[in-house]
Amino acid sequence: MAAAIQTEQLSKTYSVGFPVRKKVLALQGLDLKVEEGEIYGLLGPNGAGKSTTIKLTLNLIRPTSGSVKVFGLDPSEPKARAQIGFLPENPAPYEYLTGVEFVTLAAQLVGVPSGELKSRVSEVVEKVGMGTAAALQIRRYSKGMIQRISLAQALVGRPKLLILDEPTSGLDVLGRQLIRDVIVEERKKGTAVLFCSHIIPDVEALCDRVALVIGGKNIRTGTVSSLIESDSNQVELVIDGAVAALDEKLRPHVKQLDRLSERVVVRCEESATNTVLKVLLEANARVVKLQRTKFTLEELFIKAVKESGQAVGSSMS
Amino acid sequence: MSAFNGMLALAVNGFRESRRNRVTVVVYLFAAILIFAATFALEMTVGTFERVMTDLGLGVISIITVVLTIFLGSGLIPREIERRTIFMIVSKPVARSSFVVGRLLGNLLTSFFVLVIMAVLLIGQMVVEGTPIRESLVVALIGIALEVLVLSCVSFAFAAGSSQFVSAVCCSGLYFLGHLSTDLYKFADRAKSPVLGFLGKVAYYVLPNLDRLDFKGRATYADPTPWSELGGSVVYAIGYSVVMIVIATAVFERRDFK
Ligand SMILES: Nc1ncnc2c1ncn2[C@@H]1O[C@H](COP(=O)(O)OP(=O)(O)OP(=O)(O)O)[C@@H](O)[C@H]1O
Ligand SMILES: [Mg+2]
Repeated sequence: MAAAIQTEQLSKTYSVGFPVRKKVLALQGLDLKVEEGEIYGLLGPNGAGKSTTIKLTLNLIRPTSGSVKVFGLDPSEPKARAQIGFLPENPAPYEYLTGVEFVTLAAQLVGVPSGELKSRVSEVVEKVGMGTAAALQIRRYSKGMIQRISLAQALVGRPKLLILDEPTSGLDVLGRQLIRDVIVEERKKGTAVLFCSHIIPDVEALCDRVALVIGGKNIRTGTVSSLIESDSNQVELVIDGAVAALDEKLRPHVKQLDRLSERVVVRCEESATNTVLKVLLEANARVVKLQRTKFTLEELFIKAVKESGQAVGSSMS
Repeated sequence: MSAFNGMLALAVNGFRESRRNRVTVVVYLFAAILIFAATFALEMTVGTFERVMTDLGLGVISIITVVLTIFLGSGLIPREIERRTIFMIVSKPVARSSFVVGRLLGNLLTSFFVLVIMAVLLIGQMVVEGTPIRESLVVALIGIALEVLVLSCVSFAFAAGSSQFVSAVCCSGLYFLGHLSTDLYKFADRAKSPVLGFLGKVAYYVLPNLDRLDFKGRATYADPTPWSELGGSVVYAIGYSVVMIVIATAVFERRDFK
């Protein structure tokens, strides 16, 4: 069975400016594979190419080179898009339609049979908590209400792949909870979910796998736990009964030293471990714990972005 | 089958939006002009009254529908792209050509709706005043409907690949040139330079020949139009429109929605 999404060396270059054309290399050879039924998070700084990737999988834009397939099909085929529910970033539904009318239109476009229209629409409208406001024209909606009704139109086709671009933006606490619940529920049904978010705790809690996208490239991919461990080449030692004089001897070899009365926690490079241990043994200190340091996903993110030297946007040429 | 349903859904909702957007209030403007004109025309003899009402009524109906049609047609797609309403629609399993045709049908519904209301108002007014309703008047109204069809499709062909401003200007230009096309042909025929003559003929065939759809002058003098001539105009208008739709979809098919 084909993957829900598979990209190979996916690249997109935008030409901007007049009369002098500049090229923005939004994506530069991105490789990505989202399996059926998994929750996949796209993480990356502003302008990294997350939304560009999403637009390519929906045939809103065409790749400059490379390819993207949805369930093995080219996204330009309607059959491929029939499986996808899509919530864009800052969604803009037709403002002169009511919520119900807009979701109904979406349902008709994905081919929900006319006999089921009414029940399917009210089901998703209820699910996103828009029961009472759904009869109002969308131009009277708040930002969060627009977000909710747009989520409803993404769900109404019962997609096998749900693509959410910053789904929690503009939502209140309950709205964010709703998004998390929807994602978990969809996964139980076997739906694959691709979503990007700047809220790392959400990504950490929900995703089976995460891709870190920086400067239009996939820098790292893996489960959250593998990412935060594998990336570490530092070691953490906990020492008991260390006298204060020891600190000065340790400092040249460690990156970080925290003292809590008699207990000291130090972090050092893996390569410096033996040197540090030697110092400690000579001083007769008691090492109670030695382990590979775990970063949080957030620390990992910041570190990777700093290493790439590309905090915002993508390369120009 | 479902492609057709999607197109129909887009058309119906497009019409719904423009009604709520108060696009159709232009018919009130027409009603006001009609009442205003009638109070002046009442002094005239019956024959003159009929001529003035037909002439003025058809002229105003034509101007209002043409302006409305160009405005709607050249604005719709560029606005959808700019506001990004298109993201949630074109990403659905509808072909881009279905999207274009669906939205075009929505515009046509709006324009025809306005045209029919204005026609009913005009005919109602004439019935009240006791003037006969002639076949030539109906033929002229059909001609306006054909012009609406052609202009809708032309504006879509421009708007599929450019901005609202550019397509409105180009489409208006084509409207005026289209009404000059008979003169253009004569000019090309008489041109001394063969190059100029050739270019004139090319322009004649490329531009929409809107004179062929204009029966207003005949209606004023109650000149009948043979049905075969009207039939030819219908075929011409539909043929020209189909070509424009093909161009619009071909351009739209290639676009990136950033
Ligand atoms: N319409 C456009 N024209 C030119 N360049 C664009 C356009 N849209 C995006 N870009 C460029 O493409 C790059 C990637 O943009 P993209 O929207 O994919 O970022 P993102 O990862 O979604 O960022 P964010 O987290 O801010 O939403 C950016 O450098 C941006 O400048
Ligand atoms: Mg984005």
